[in-house]
Amino acid sequence: MEYWGVKVEDIFDTMNDRFRPEGAKGVTAKFGYDITGDGKWKIIVSEGLLEVIKTDDLSDCAAVMVCDGETFVGINIGKVDAANAFTSGKVKIEGDFGQFGKTAKMFKKYVPKKAAMSTRDYILDMFGTLVSRFQPQNAPQEAVIVYDIGGADGGVWTAYIKDGKCELKEERAEKFTVKLEVQEAKDWVDVMLGKVDAFSLLSAGKAAIVGETQLALKLGEIFGKYQDPMASGTPEQELIVLKKIISVDQKFSTGPVMGKFLNALKEKKILGNKCPKCGRIQLPAREVCAECRVRVDEWVEVGPKGQVRYMEYVYYASPDPLTGETRETPYGMANILLDGCQGNDTFAHLIRRDQIDRIKGGKDDVSGTRVRPVWNEHRTGSIFDIKYFEIDE
Amino acid sequence: MAHKKNRNVAIIGVGQTKHSSHREDVNQPEMIHEAVSAALKDANLSIKDIDCIVHGNMELFEMIHQPDLWHVLGTGAYGKDSIRITTGGTVGTTLACASDNLVASGMYDIVMAIGFEKLQEGHTTGGITNMADPLWFRNLQTGALTGSTAYDVIQEFGEDRAKRAAMMYRIVMDKHACLNPNAHRAFGLDFDQVETLMNTSPQLVGELRLIHMCSQSDGACAVIFACEKKAKELSKKPVWIRDHITIHREETFNIFGYHKDFPVLKTHKFAAEQLFKRNDIKNPLEYFDVFEMYDPAAWWGLDWLRDFFFLKGDEHLRLVENKEIMIGGSMPINPSGGVIATNPIGATALLRVAEAALQVRGDAGAHQIPKEVKHALASGFGGTMWTVLMMLEKELSW
Repeated sequence: MEYWGVKVEDIFDTMNDRFRPEGAKGVTAKFGYDITGDGKWKIIVSEGLLEVIKTDDLSDCAAVMVCDGETFVGINIGKVDAANAFTSGKVKIEGDFGQFGKTAKMFKKYVPKKAAMSTRDYILDMFGTLVSRFQPQNAPQEAVIVYDIGGADGGVWTAYIKDGKCELKEERAEKFTVKLEVQEAKDWVDVMLGKVDAFSLLSAGKAAIVGETQLALKLGEIFGKYQDPMASGTPEQELIVLKKIISVDQKFSTGPVMGKFLNALKEKKILGNKCPKCGRIQLPAREVCAECRVRVDEWVEVGPKGQVRYMEYVYYASPDPLTGETRETPYGMANILLDGCQGNDTFAHLIRRDQIDRIKGGKDDVSGTRVRPVWNEHRTGSIFDIKYFEIDE
Repeated sequence: MAHKKNRNVAIIGVGQTKHSSHREDVNQPEMIHEAVSAALKDANLSIKDIDCIVHGNMELFEMIHQPDLWHVLGTGAYGKDSIRITTGGTVGTTLACASDNLVASGMYDIVMAIGFEKLQEGHTTGGITNMADPLWFRNLQTGALTGSTAYDVIQEFGEDRAKRAAMMYRIVMDKHACLNPNAHRAFGLDFDQVETLMNTSPQLVGELRLIHMCSQSDGACAVIFACEKKAKELSKKPVWIRDHITIHREETFNIFGYHKDFPVLKTHKFAAEQLFKRNDIKNPLEYFDVFEMYDPAAWWGLDWLRDFFFLKGDEHLRLVENKEIMIGGSMPINPSGGVIATNPIGATALLRVAEAALQVRGDAGAHQIPKEVKHALASGFGGTMWTVLMMLEKELSW
């Protein structure tokens, strides 16, 4: 019998193609399907392999699903609500109900040949497979992620991550770690299918991230890549992207001029060197004035206090290239005119994070916020012998 | 008087790829080959006709040493004279300048410049950050992301007007990008979104928001340069290179002082002054019909109009506010959509030259400006404070 143009056999015949070994991890069991009027099938799952047989003997199955053909096909193609079918008794599970639940993750969605999936189909499939795509090793200990997908085809889902497990509920959690708001379901589908990059949506104001942006940017690692069910079946050239993270040891020699400058930091002194031609003080010190092209050899102690001329209020969580650590945001990177310097002779450093909202930049004869360095107890002759600057009150 | 002392040079072919955030359908040589094939087809030439290849990208970004050697299958450079150039954001225009010089000198008759970048295969911000002094500034700086220009414009013109003008500039670029089938980002933004985007687009650094910033694109561009004799033989519409200039200065340590008594020498302004003076151009805004500008962010694009065109007061803001920078306006800026829409760094500045040449030829398609383009300007920009300017002409008439 055909239901919505699909036969019960079609579902079983395509099971091998739709099988997802990663969704069957750790499962070794036999499951039976007793489809009233259409026949009986048995699937054997073992060590990531699948075998499908048509047989009348379902006696050795851990669990058997009993229902009629219309309901079975309907659930598989998304025409019948599975939960409703169970509750109303149209579908019965005989045997180990818990075991049978594992089959949900094992298969990609059945897609009738050549029929296109609607945006709604994709959205349901994307969230239907979300838990099976969960990668606990890349996930934080605990997080609540709300997906607020707008438009007629959208909906609201919340993924609860805790201790290596992920649970998805069709609900809006009020307290969340991060919330993704997408105005149009179609846009989200395009992102998931790799047709549009998420940054474009964010840039265009078609999507927003509320809460921890960094976590949102990691979603691609926390959940495995969504596979387009429409792309299966037809053999295509496989394009592979290899991802490598390289780590290279580096060392840098200071040279005598930068060396003297860095060494002075150990003594809580900031040394600039003064160009004999234009008079500017270079911070940090360099051997030659890059403007005048002359050797600079007069040393001057400046600061350590000064005024902020300009501050970059940084929200972008860029990695520190020397440590690989992602910086905590927002942070303030300031150009500070230390006492004794003038004009463009500013000195770059960080501002104490809890004070960045209070910083005012100066201009011309108007002074900016006065700041002082906070020195590290243990100084090694590096930029971070000064932890940061703080407001001088 | 012309600056050029030797032979005249013309652009006789341009080609580019479709640009996108992820060209995972091709590897680097294959992607380059798309642009090379397109340029050869455009010029009606075969690779045999090319005497020398000038190849460039930012090696730091893809972590590939000597890309010119292993891209040879894509570039067609096998057995040919070849040069590799890397000058940061300006790579593309430097490729064009070098190609022009190589042909003008008489060393080669036909030279092909190829710029490419696959930004998704590396880490751009990481790469840019690594250019700073490792002992001092590298730990602090934010790559190409800086809010300083936004800060300046806001200080000078007030918060509301400055933010509106920058967002207007951004939306104009998007409208242009929507007409360019090769552009990477084309959102379909509209002017009634100015207010919303000013407030909702995520902030990167200060008032530099995600929407203001250029894209990270994959793509390649190839441009073919020929001597006057060959150009006249081979091309119905050669685009003549009148002159070009490169200006750069020290790294960025000392430019955030902000004191009226210590003005900062801006390379854009200096380059434009030198170039226009020696070509006897007194009013560049009147002289040029189109400007393909290297605009890494909307704030920069807005601000730099003043430097390139010697504008005073708020003239540059008014150019934007009155939509004079649109394709149909008095000074169309980036009919292609510019760098904000499409930024495969090694190709980006060469795309400015290529797109300017297409405008002069009248071959830009849907983003062709409606009036005749006789004089075009293209610019390149990069760290640390580099400016490259190139002037293109329809007629050999100077």
